Amino acid sequence: MAALSAMIDPSIFEGLQAKVDEDSAVRDELKDIIQALEKNNRSISFVQSRAHSTPIAQLASVIQASEEPIKNAIESISKLAAAASKQPYYKFNHMWTRQVQDAIYSLLLWAWLGGKDFDQGEIKCGRLLTIEELGEVLNVPVNLKDEDKFHITIEEYLLALVSLVEELTRLARNAVTLGDYERPLLINQFVKDVFAGFQILNLKNDVLRRRGDGLKYRVKDVEDVVYDLSLRNLVPKKS
Amino acid sequence: MGENKAEKREKPEQATSPFMPMFENFRKELDEHHDRRERIIKASRDITAASKKIIFTLQRVRKLGLPVPQFVVKGNAQYWETIEKQYQSISADVQGLNAYRYGNNITGGNQEFMEALSFQHYLENQTLVSYEEAKSKIASMSGAGGAVLLTPEDYVLGIFDMVGELMRFSITTMATNGKLPTGESKTAESGKQKSHEDEMDVDQEPRVADGTGEPRNVLSDLRALRLQLEMFEPSGGRFETDVRKKADVMRECVDKVEKALYGLTVRGTERPKGWVPGVRDEKRPEVETY
Repeated sequence: MAALSAMIDPSIFEGLQAKVDEDSAVRDELKDIIQALEKNNRSISFVQSRAHSTPIAQLASVIQASEEPIKNAIESISKLAAAASKQPYYKFNHMWTRQVQDAIYSLLLWAWLGGKDFDQGEIKCGRLLTIEELGEVLNVPVNLKDEDKFHITIEEYLLALVSLVEELTRLARNAVTLGDYERPLLINQFVKDVFAGFQILNLKNDVLRRRGDGLKYRVKDVEDVVYDLSLRNLVPKKS
Repeated sequence: MGENKAEKREKPEQATSPFMPMFENFRKELDEHHDRRERIIKASRDITAASKKIIFTLQRVRKLGLPVPQFVVKGNAQYWETIEKQYQSISADVQGLNAYRYGNNITGGNQEFMEALSFQHYLENQTLVSYEEAKSKIASMSGAGGAVLLTPEDYVLGIFDMVGELMRFSITTMATNGKLPTGESKTAESGKQKSHEDEMDVDQEPRVADGTGEPRNVLSDLRALRLQLEMFEPSGGRFETDVRKKADVMRECVDKVEKALYGLTVRGTERPKGWVPGVRDEKRPEVETY
């Protein structure tokens, strides 16, 4: 063994192994929290999916029902933030970015459906939660640049926004089915506004580009719905 | 249609999207991010290319355990400079929060650099350069902007690749000198060369180098390296996949040297001078991504 230790100081690989093992312990800790968040996300979307079959007059019940699971997701994110902030952010960020995006998307939908301004009164749809407002709701920092701790990145926000547009496209059709001819118009404008925003971004060949490229089809989908309505004179007259 | 929608928003008609200011801000941030990433990718490529050239020159060295000859020092100076310049150019981009952000973009360059650094270190000292040494080497090359991070992953993957270079070095030396490269005695000409073990007569037959007291040869070092690398347990993710792939190549490399030495032992004298076993075009799996 003398020859072995002469070539390689055994502490080299011992040290490396220790570092790698430490990282994998961190990963295990994060994994549990991320799995919990994933479960929370599923509970939210279970409730929110009812929005497609609920007339706007009863939408308040969906909003109310989603409050509890949303609260749980926010709690999971706080736990994640606490655990993740002990580590360099981008070292492990890939582990949770997907689940965090899903949670953001749920909140964007919740706000769009009127959850943010809900006050037992009439539901008002169409609000876009900004990334700063999102950070307030989640109680985590957003778009950090100088501090190395957990935060919501603009990429995550934008990807969740694409998901929101996809969901609203579906909602536009389903609203018509429910006899609601107003929301498709609202969605049409909203989707166009978001699309206009995406068009000024210089996207490179990455996931944001791929998903952002799909937006134009969503714009067209919603336009088709509005076209069908206007062709049949179903577009509500301005009051 | 158009007027209708404007009414619905209960706002005075606006030509542009109300989200524009927000998106303009995003654009600025994304542009900065993409610029940084591009700079890093380019630096990584240049570091890779320069490291390959360094390795190429190092493959012309025939002696083990001595400072590399002048032609290598002179020939490689410009490439080490290139590498230093590239690390300096990106050091500000990979500080703080961004230290790990571009890990995937720089790992290719870091690994290739590790390969060059550890190969030269081995040729000169006949030992494996440590992670800490390598890390501070890059830190010292990164300049005032702060150290560019060398992760344990970069280090390990670079060492795997270095095994391939040792294989090539062994086989070429065997083909030209007719024997396995073995550590030079520290008493021979360069007294300043520090050696970590008591080396005895260099001219002894290297074949039984595992025995105590003999100077170590490349094969015993390769075996030591193989042992360490095989005992190393990567944990999950892409790193594990990369290690598995490189481990296969690493084992093949050690096998090739063993086979070549076997050939040398069995038919040593029958071999025509300058004969080279057909192992020079071995392939390495592609695991670097940009």
